[in-house]
Amino acid sequence: MRPAALLRLALAGNRTDTVRILLTAFAAALATLSMLAAATVYAIRPRGDAALREAAGLAPTKEGVPGVEPAPDGYAYQYTHNLLVEPGLRPGVALGLLLLCIPVLALAGQSARLGAPARDRRLAQIRLAGATPRQAVAVAVAETGLAALAGTAAGMAAYAAGRVLLHRPDASGRLPLPTDTLPPLWTLLAVGAGLPLLAALSAALLLRRVAFTPFGVARRHRTRPPRPWPGLLILAGIAAFAAVQPVVRAYAWSGRPMPGWVLPVLLGGGGALATIGVVLGTAWISQAAGRVLHRVARSPAALLAARRLMADPWAGGRVFAAMLAAVVVGAGAAGVRAWFTAEFDAREEVSRANARAAGWEYVPGDTSFYTSSLDLVDAAVTVALVIAGLGLLVYLVEGLVSRRRAYAALVATGVPRRTLARSVGWQMLAPAVPAIVLALVVGTAIMRGLVREVRAGSWMQFCTVDDESRCGEGSPFLRTFEIDVVRPVEVPYAELAQVGAVALAAVAVTVGVGLLFLRASTDVTELRTE
Amino acid sequence: MTPILQGRGLVKSYGPTRALRGVTLTVAEGEILAVTGPSGCGKSTLLHCLAGILRPDAGEVVYRDHRIDTWSQARRSQLRRGEFGILFQYGQLVAELTAAENVALPLMLNGTRRREARTAAMSWLERLDVADVAARRPGEISGGQQQRVALARALVTEPRVLFADEPTGSLDSLAGEQVLGHLVRLARAQQTTVVLVTHDATVAGYADREIVLRDGEVDPTGLGLARGRTVVAR
Repeated sequence: MRPAALLRLALAGNRTDTVRILLTAFAAALATLSMLAAATVYAIRPRGDAALREAAGLAPTKEGVPGVEPAPDGYAYQYTHNLLVEPGLRPGVALGLLLLCIPVLALAGQSARLGAPARDRRLAQIRLAGATPRQAVAVAVAETGLAALAGTAAGMAAYAAGRVLLHRPDASGRLPLPTDTLPPLWTLLAVGAGLPLLAALSAALLLRRVAFTPFGVARRHRTRPPRPWPGLLILAGIAAFAAVQPVVRAYAWSGRPMPGWVLPVLLGGGGALATIGVVLGTAWISQAAGRVLHRVARSPAALLAARRLMADPWAGGRVFAAMLAAVVVGAGAAGVRAWFTAEFDAREEVSRANARAAGWEYVPGDTSFYTSSLDLVDAAVTVALVIAGLGLLVYLVEGLVSRRRAYAALVATGVPRRTLARSVGWQMLAPAVPAIVLALVVGTAIMRGLVREVRAGSWMQFCTVDDESRCGEGSPFLRTFEIDVVRPVEVPYAELAQVGAVALAAVAVTVGVGLLFLRASTDVTELRTE
Repeated sequence: MTPILQGRGLVKSYGPTRALRGVTLTVAEGEILAVTGPSGCGKSTLLHCLAGILRPDAGEVVYRDHRIDTWSQARRSQLRRGEFGILFQYGQLVAELTAAENVALPLMLNGTRRREARTAAMSWLERLDVADVAARRPGEISGGQQQRVALARALVTEPRVLFADEPTGSLDSLAGEQVLGHLVRLARAQQTTVVLVTHDATVAGYADREIVLRDGEVDPTGLGLARGRTVVAR
């Protein structure tokens, strides 16, 4: 098939196909922005010019040296925010930005299913017109690949525009964002070419279960019921976090230096295992929720929802994946905040006691650096929840559109639309509530495994007279003061409730918006569409 | 015979297309009426107007001396749920529910307890010889069985009027005959009035009376599909 013909066939379709293409392009643009932002942060070259250090409130190391000086300590003083300045935090920021791709890619995956039955019928008609199965798949893959290519190009254009528009140095020349940094060329090329390629490959992978014949499309469905084994992954993830402190202590006791990979493997691997466990476990939760609902259902709405959940429990894991991952991270971040709070309290208590004992003036410590960093994590979780909500919306609308004839028939026979609306609400909320609770519990458990209490202490000797020469060893004027504070890390119930409430609100808003499509989907004219 | 349903001067347009151009007809209680005519002549639109699914642009729909075309959508929905039964070309069963649950659904919507609704559904499935597929979903049974389950769903509330829109259009002749046989037998037994839309002469042959629509109007020539009989539009 000639490329022009492939292009024409790939982009031929109805309104739903257009929406699918636009959503795929939108997701690709978001993913491009997220990847380029991560690459930019990672590519930051620290500058330690005397003027910048001074503006940052630090003593200039090379006073009077003009121009760009690489910072020997790795601190990038050209930025205003500590997340970009501190060398220890930048990889975390880059990773966080990269992780934002997860809900974006979930949105792309969900978008690919929008209007899939109609597209499959179109591809079957193309087969009927003489195309080979491989050519039919090529048409579908080309559609996704081209949409992703357009989205990636748009994302790159937005990135380039953002670099210009957001380049706002303050009076001292420091920047709020790394708009002075460009990732290496190979990174730009990898994102520009890799993302559309990845999208096309994913489309080909999704179509491996589909057989296109001239008489229609056969789609192999997963028939085996979900099992609760993902619970083991969750336990393994929690165990990995719980192992951190014993491992650190064991290395300290043995006197051997701890290899650099140990902590990232335990924390990253544990977090990934727990999150994957929650996501995969949602299929089982969906099925269990469906069974329970079916047993207790008294209303037609609950019965419809229960049967739908039982008919395709795997959809639950697929649809809620990104949202649950964000909730696990959000709960973990709440745990980190509780940890930091306990740590600061303990340190402050030690400082206060030291000041009292020595007669010094007590100066409270500044925690704004850590709290503002955690605020950014919370903002990232919120963004992830919003993107995940978009994916949910696509799933919901796709479900309404694909069932429109059955819905229209029900309404025609006198079923009130509000019954159908309630059934959709039940269908979304019945698995979402337990899954979100599970994600909160897992996020909390991994942090509880890591740390349950914090210690702070100090030991100091001070002279009670002005003449320090009289404070030698054994002197009665030499006072010793020792303090050891242990603080439990509280479970952050309020923050956890907040994360859960935001996630549930995202589901509820999605259901509300999705139901706007219910009236159109139940119109009597739908009874005529084949 | 006592009229149960009347359409008087019904007009309905979809944009610039006039689907009905002043159709007037009367359906007597217990009668089986076939509405026939070529594709696009307005048969389904007429059925939707008579059943209160669509509101006509002009004209009146009178059901047992009540003008239902002026009723609110909610009230018309309630009427369809209680007094009318509707059967479509494709069963339009809910794919995720079992056959028994599909049949029990209208009763549950009317407030019947689930257990009682299921018992009633099983009784109707037995009458239609599809009790053996009660626990199966629509995708797991044949088209003929689906349509019989859909017929059970339409009749389970024991409606006064059954509207059937090309009820055998998607079936082979044998399955179609089985469905129609059941439909006519049960309608007669329950004294249910049937309005049957079809373009198939065999199907129209099951009716007591036939009217023909052409271009949105009742054909004054009165030449019906069913065995060339003369059609009387009352």
